[in-house]
Amino acid sequence: MKRAMSCPAMITACVAVIVIVAAPATAAEPICDKSDIRVVNSMREIAQPYHADLDKGGRLFAAWAGLKDYVLQLNQGDSDKQISLMRLLMATNPRCTIFNVEPNADLVVKPMVDAANRSGAWIVTHWAHNEGLHPFDGNDHWIAHIAVDSLGAGVAISRHLVDAIGHTGGVVALQGRLDTDPARKRFAGLQQVLQNTPGVRLLDQQTANWDRTAAFPIVQTWLTKYGDRINGVWAANDDMALGALEALRAAGLAGKIPVVGVDGIPEAIAAVEKGEMVATVSSDAYYQGSIGLAMGTCVLTGQVPLPASWPKEKREFYLKLVVITRDNAAQYLREPQPSAYVADWQCDKLWNRSTGKAF
Amino acid sequence: MTPTGHQGPVGSRPASAGPELRSWAPLLALIVLCLGFGLAEPGFATVENLWTIADRSAIPLILAVGSTFIILQGSIDLSIEGVMAVSSLTFAMCALNSRTGLDLGVLGLVLAIFAGAGLGLLSGLVTTCLRVPSFMVTLGVWSLSAGIAMLLSGDQPPLIKDPMLRAFGLGRGLAVPNLFLVAVTVVLLGYALQSYTRFGRYSMVIGGGEDLARLLGLPVDRYKVLAFAFAGLLSGLGGALESARIGLGHVEVGVGQMFATITAVVIGGTSLGGGRGGVLQSVVGTLTLAVLTNGMIFVGISPYAQKAVQGALILLAVLVTTWPLRSRLRIVK
Repeated sequence: MKRAMSCPAMITACVAVIVIVAAPATAAEPICDKSDIRVVNSMREIAQPYHADLDKGGRLFAAWAGLKDYVLQLNQGDSDKQISLMRLLMATNPRCTIFNVEPNADLVVKPMVDAANRSGAWIVTHWAHNEGLHPFDGNDHWIAHIAVDSLGAGVAISRHLVDAIGHTGGVVALQGRLDTDPARKRFAGLQQVLQNTPGVRLLDQQTANWDRTAAFPIVQTWLTKYGDRINGVWAANDDMALGALEALRAAGLAGKIPVVGVDGIPEAIAAVEKGEMVATVSSDAYYQGSIGLAMGTCVLTGQVPLPASWPKEKREFYLKLVVITRDNAAQYLREPQPSAYVADWQCDKLWNRSTGKAF
Repeated sequence: MTPTGHQGPVGSRPASAGPELRSWAPLLALIVLCLGFGLAEPGFATVENLWTIADRSAIPLILAVGSTFIILQGSIDLSIEGVMAVSSLTFAMCALNSRTGLDLGVLGLVLAIFAGAGLGLLSGLVTTCLRVPSFMVTLGVWSLSAGIAMLLSGDQPPLIKDPMLRAFGLGRGLAVPNLFLVAVTVVLLGYALQSYTRFGRYSMVIGGGEDLARLLGLPVDRYKVLAFAFAGLLSGLGGALESARIGLGHVEVGVGQMFATITAVVIGGTSLGGGRGGVLQSVVGTLTLAVLTNGMIFVGISPYAQKAVQGALILLAVLVTTWPLRSRLRIVK
């Protein structure tokens, strides 16, 4: 009959099509045409410099790689919104869509990875880590999780703080939101350093919820309560460190009592340069905002094999942190140029800043 | 909003500061709280700490005065945080700053206050003209203004570089924090408005029974719009002053203030149903919250437990405040 193929013929045709489509993919042929690739940065908001820099990093990369389709998704801290915004894009052209994501909370990682696996979109996550969930456990479209060593960050700034006060005296600590993993680990870093520095006492610790305005009155209260027993101020992020700095300024103590923070936001770097802060740690937001997109682009253009074939330490790793002190502050104050990152965006250099398998 | 069914006084008399126990209960609670913290930790009861508490409560006081009139009228203002954000950025971008070339100094402060008043006016007009509950309107204005602030902020929050404004925000005149002096002025102004003007007396009447007020021929809508504009103006002032203090215009400058303000007004003894309470009550409520947060740090309550302790004490305060009212509350919403 002319009209219909026989059943075996249909199956053969089907298999042939699958082989034709799938064979090149396993041989790392391009999955997508460059003009079809869509790169997405999904984050909380861009009111804070850290997030603004994530976005800038993503744009720098897209421009450098010649990708026209860059999308920024903001969820204002609403996890449901984050997922639904991502699903919205996955409805069209998912196989050529790369998400570079700062998940709102640990628990949203799973739904977004599931959505990516189902739709065929690609995803790279930062920061939030869902205990027991890994890219290499069959989540083939979850390219990688790039973790930040919060304990290491906490240890680094705490060392600079105790050095700055000559290993004796009292310090106070401003914690982040107590229910978040970075807050706990950064503080654990402080405790670790203090254990090895018997001369330094932790006078008090309070949470200011990462927030500058909340840090201000807490530090004021401490200054009233402890007076000159406070020799140093430790803050789990730069925003709180800067709030603390303003409270010190109001008391005429700015620059006299060392302050440390984490994040490396421009204002904090400026304060480090001025000598009002001692140290901050940067995970390099420009890098974080671009590296996931670079990984995805390398996969989709066939320059690296599919992530499923990568070793574990390439799919879940810690990011190298930069400690910024007065010695090197000046070089981080300038707006970075793409040239500073191009070397790290090359497909054979994607793991340049890895310090090894995370967790 | 309609009155919640209690048979409150419908008359043009000012805040009931009568001899009844209930008006004094919040103040009593505040004093007990101070005594408790003072006994537990002598460092709490010092002049220096008094000024620390004053500084902490300055901006909440300003916000509470604005909200008092709204709540007295039986409405609610949820837009505080958004309005603060807009005025914070307006102020930071008009004063000498890192982003724009402007250097308007104190005029920037005035513009920021106007921006706040404008948003308040918007809430008031939509509530009255379109007859939408203030709860929904101000929720919308909160989002709207937070969005505007986000747009203004862009990717780099503006840092305030004007040394005079910064010095004012951080400084003290004769030991008293400058911002607290502003707050005291606002409180006195609020008290004068409440006691000596038609606005204050009619606010009480509207809250006591809006339908009755309308029957009496009072221009209810006009006074409601006025109250929202006044609250917006004070939120604007609060946002700008907070910026002067921390040194930048920031979208999150008011985070947490909306609930704190409403809590302060209510534990002070102003009824959410309207018609009962006043500015001085709100002052007591605000100071209670400030003493609580300050005192918990002083006596060394673990930060993990502070939220729970604060919640428990607020519940207790509300219970004490509303206890004598139980019999008169027919409907509880």
